[in-house]
This record gives sequence, C-alpha cells and structure tokens, in this order.
Amino acid sequence: MEHSGNFLTFITDHLQQFFTYTAFANVTAGHIIMICVGLAFIYLAIAKEYEPMLLIPIGFGILVGNIAFLPGLKIGIYESGSVLNYLYFGVLQGIYPPLIFLGIGAMTDFSALISNPKLMLIGAAAQLGIFGAYAIALLLGFSPSEAGAIAIIGGADGPTAIFLSSKLAPELMGAIAISAYSYMALVPVIQPPVMRLLTTKKERLIRMKPPRSVSKVEKVLFPIIGMLLTCFIVPSGLPLLGMLFFGNLLKESGVTKRLADTAKGPMIDIVTILIGLTVGASTQATTFLTAKSVGIFALGAASFIIATFGGVMFVKIINIFLKEGNKMNPLIGNAGVSAVPDSARVSQVVGLEYDKTNHLLMHAMGPNVAGVIGSAVAAGILLGFLS
Amino acid sequence: MIKSNKTIRFSGALIALVLGLFAGNTYAQSTRDLRINELLVINDSNYVDDYGQHCAWFEVFNSAYNTVDIGGSYLTNDPANPTKYYIPKGDPITQIPPRNYLVFYADNVPTRGILHLNFTLDETNYLAIYEGNGKNLIDAIKFGPQSPDVSFGRLTDGNHEWGFLEKTTPLANNYTGTIVSAGEKFVEMDPYGVGMAVIAMSVVFAALILLYIVFKNTKRLYSINFKKLFSREPTKEAVAEIASEVEISGEVNAAIAMALYLYISELHDHEEAILTIKKVSRTYSPWSSKIYGLRNQLR
Repeated sequence: MEHSGNFLTFITDHLQQFFTYTAFANVTAGHIIMICVGLAFIYLAIAKEYEPMLLIPIGFGILVGNIAFLPGLKIGIYESGSVLNYLYFGVLQGIYPPLIFLGIGAMTDFSALISNPKLMLIGAAAQLGIFGAYAIALLLGFSPSEAGAIAIIGGADGPTAIFLSSKLAPELMGAIAISAYSYMALVPVIQPPVMRLLTTKKERLIRMKPPRSVSKVEKVLFPIIGMLLTCFIVPSGLPLLGMLFFGNLLKESGVTKRLADTAKGPMIDIVTILIGLTVGASTQATTFLTAKSVGIFALGAASFIIATFGGVMFVKIINIFLKEGNKMNPLIGNAGVSAVPDSARVSQVVGLEYDKTNHLLMHAMGPNVAGVIGSAVAAGILLGFLS
Repeated sequence: MIKSNKTIRFSGALIALVLGLFAGNTYAQSTRDLRINELLVINDSNYVDDYGQHCAWFEVFNSAYNTVDIGGSYLTNDPANPTKYYIPKGDPITQIPPRNYLVFYADNVPTRGILHLNFTLDETNYLAIYEGNGKNLIDAIKFGPQSPDVSFGRLTDGNHEWGFLEKTTPLANNYTGTIVSAGEKFVEMDPYGVGMAVIAMSVVFAALILLYIVFKNTKRLYSINFKKLFSREPTKEAVAEIASEVEISGEVNAAIAMALYLYISELHDHEEAILTIKKVSRTYSPWSSKIYGLRNQLR
C-alpha cells in the first residue's frame, strides 16, 4: 500500500515537473499578443492575399517563436546549438538577403528602365523616406546605428532591411524585418491617400509615351554596367547589388537558362521560406515586445509616407522642366519605393480610377526596379557611414 | 563622327586619369598585412612569458580581415641577415585571426618554443619581418633608446604613427582611450540627420544619374565602329588621293544628267495602265509541289 502511495507521488511529481516544461506554464501575456499578431499575418495573407509568400512564413514563424518553453533545452532561436539557431545564422550573418536578391535579379525585367532611363531618378528620389526616417529616429533618441537600421524600412525592401539591420543593429532585426514586410504588404493602403493628396486631377490624367523596344544587347549590358557603376560608387552595397545584377545577367544572357530558372525558382523559394520563418521566429515576446519595437513600427509607417511623398513630388518637379507630351504621370512616383511589384500595381490601380484607358503599370515598373537599386545603394551608404 | 570619336577618346583619357588619381591602397589579405605593432625592449617587471620570465617581447598585428598564417616567414634584428629566425609552418599558434595579435619573445632562447627567438632586441635596435622567400620585406622598425617597462608601438593598431604607449598592451588594442564609433562621430557633426540626407541622397542620385547617362547613350555606344575608331586617321595627302580616285569624269556626269532628265520628263499624272487584283488559278501538279521539293527537317 505504501509502495502504491509512493508510486502515485512519483507520478504526480513527474506530471507536475512535466507541466513546468509545457508552454501553458511558461506563457506570458507577451507571448499571447505575439501569437495574435502571427495569426493576424496568416489571416491577411490567406483572406486578403497581402504578400502571402512572405506573410505566411513570417506569421507562422511568429507562432513558432512564441511557444513559451523553459530555456536550456536547445529549442529557442536564440539558444546556441538549436536547429532554429542554425537556420537563423543565415539571417544574422546576412547570407539570405543576397541570395534573395540573386533570385530577384533573375526574375526582373529591366526593359522599362532601359527604355526610359530618366525613370531611374524617381527610384533615387523615393529613397528620401530612408533619410527622413533616419532623422526622426535620431530625434527619438535611437543610437546612430539603430537609426540607420530602422531607416532602411523606408526602402521598402525586406532583404535589404534584414541585411542592414543584421550589420548595424542585430538586436532590432526582428522588429525591423516585421515592420518592413508589414508595410510592404500594406502598400495598397498607405500609398494611395498620399498620392491623391499630392496630385491634381489634371496631373493624374497625364498619358505617357509608350516605352520603346529594348534590344538584347542593351539588356545584357545593363547588369554588367549597372553592377560596375553602382559598386564602384558604393562598394559596401556589393553583396546586394552584385547578386541582383548577377541574377539579371543569368536571365538576360540567354545562355544560362537553367541557372536563371534555379535562381528565380527553387532557390529563392527555399531562401524565402527560411528567411520568413526565422525572422518570424525571432520575434520571441521576451525580446521583441519592447518600447523600441513600437517606435520602429511608427517610424516604418512614417518612412513609407515620406518615400511616397519624395517620389511623387520629384515627378511633379521634373515635369516643370519637361515639354508637353514628354511629361510623366506623378502617380508613378510612388513606385520609386522598391516594394516590387506592389507599388507599381498601386500606380496602375490609382491611374485607372481616373482614366480607364491610361495604363501606368509598365511606366511604373521603371522606378520600381530603380527603387531596388536605389535602396541597395542607400543601404551601402548607411553601412559605410555608421558601421 | 570625328567629333564623337574625339569625345570618346577624351572621356577615356579622363576616366583613366580619374582612376589613376583616386586609385587607393591595395589590401593584400595575406602576410603582407602583418605589422609589427608594439615592442618592449627592457622588461623589468612587465609581461611575463609562458615560462614566467620577464624578457623583451614584441607584438605582431594582423591588419587583414581574414586569418593570416605567419608561419613560414622570417624575423630578424639584422638588416644584413633577413632569414635569422624562421617561424615554423603548420603550427596552429602561428595562425593569427583577423584583426588580432601574436606575441614573440626576443630572449635568445629558441629552445623554449617557436615564439622564443634566437636574438634579442637591444643588440641592434632593429626588428623586421620578411616573407617566406627571405627577400620581400613585410614590415620593419628601427627604434631609439628605450625605457624600462615602457612599450614602444603604433599609437593605434596597424597605423603608421609610432610612440611610447601609456600602457603596455600585449595581445590587446594599442589605443586605450575611449573609442567612438563611426556612427557616433557622424552624429556628433550631424545631430539631426540633415547632413546624412544630403550626402546619401546625393550619392544615390549620382549612382542612378550615372546609370541614366550611360543607358541614355547605350545605343550610340554599341553602334560605334571601333575598327574605324582605332584605325589611324588618314593624312591630308591620303584624303586628296582618295578624292582624286573618286572624281567622276564629264562623260559620266552627262550620262547621269540625261538619265535624270528622262526619268523626270517621263512622269505622268494619269497612268494608262489599270491596276487590279485577279485570281490566278493553277492546276495542281505533284511536280511543282513543295512537299516533294523540300527536305524533311532533321530530328
């Protein structure tokens, strides 16, 4: 009888011990909040189709990262030796973003930009969002490195944001990446009011000349010259710009179809899964839910608004110097923030609201891909000055 | 064409000049990046070696951003004998991690291990590292009289400025003051980020304007006849000779004029011929069929 009593105590003790290992015993309000955020991301991705390729892995990653556990079991993403920690290595060391850029290069057609090179300048103007956010971040008391890492959210480029924050402020990377991807998904919500506010009805109806056809030689030369010129100016942007243009050369050379297909297909898919999941998992409530994260989200919104402002206003200013017939529709200015192709799609949708026959998509793709180059150059500059 | 050729040649010369002017240092990422960083000649009560002895020591700094193996190189205190001490290869201790240090003991007791040298520093007041071929000098320092327990070194690691250091810092940074990060320095001068915005936006614009200029002119660029561009320009005599060769005789001119006159005077306002479309039917014949006349495509 005594023996059975001991056995019962043994069972209850171990059940109690087991309970301490479960997430129910370790969960905090922060974890619950983050799980709700993750569920919201998954909902937006499935129900609203907002950037599902990114929001599903990130959203699920947030769920994975916020399962509360007892430290020391080599489970968490921040615990050395855990599987998630190994996968997170690619984020921490900035390995994944250049690989994603390789895929982006292999799937991007720069024809719109080559046919009308002045659209490149819109891509440069929209980087104003980065430096506007940098100034505000400094005013809010962030350190220079943190301010630089947060500011890159305005580039609307997830891989670039992850790359730069892993170098300048690794502790803020989760919040920065989540903020960047969230606002990229929300581009159709954030940009149109700013675009409408800054343009007149007459400007929104401007029709642009159709782009000229681009020869193969030009397409092949673009990645080579583009890489040499931009990297000579900003060598610190080499990992991103080098891979972007390399991917594009694989595509345009026409003789490396298999490599281009791999870069833009299976490889970018694998890296997207890994980067999305691990970035999501890095938002462990214990490290993520801080006042700084809230500040980063606020700054992210500000940077997107400033970037849109920069792009649209730049087109309006340039139009003053252009002859009638050569003018650009300021509604393509927003596409200078690089969120490809969402911001170009916003230009198209808003343009069609005012003229059902005025298709701006092809014109907007020019500044859109220029924005990718511009934000990588801007990241290189911030890295050069602040690291 | 001649003008555009001149422009291209001028641009080429300008680019070469700019590259020449701005060409910076090259970074070898090899033993050439090693620097003698700090030395202590009179060691009375300072750093002790692995045998607990106070002896002269010096520190080698790897200024590269990759691991450099000093094994296989030579150390000497005699300019006439560059291969005085050979650092054995293949020992993990000779692998210096990026931006890191290795200390050698100049105690003239080489039996104590590969870091103990067969010379001392006070004999010649000279120290040098040579590459594995014993000919190429990596770094050398000629120093003056030294004080006891005060080290002589580069004021900051790898820098060219030498002096007596406030603290001896074997295996550590020579600069022991407060280190201000590049970002903090930047913000000291530019607390509101206006300077950053101006500089960075200028650079972004410069990069994309450069691309704009290039791609605005790409078509012209690859339509240049480089054969013609790099061939020698003909002399005046050669031009005159070519001109005389193509000079047309009076008879030919007269013939051309006659032909033009006939062509112009034969023009009519109303043509007499009638232009129409008429279906021409041909009966089928296997002899004219294309399927028998063309070869099948190879598979």
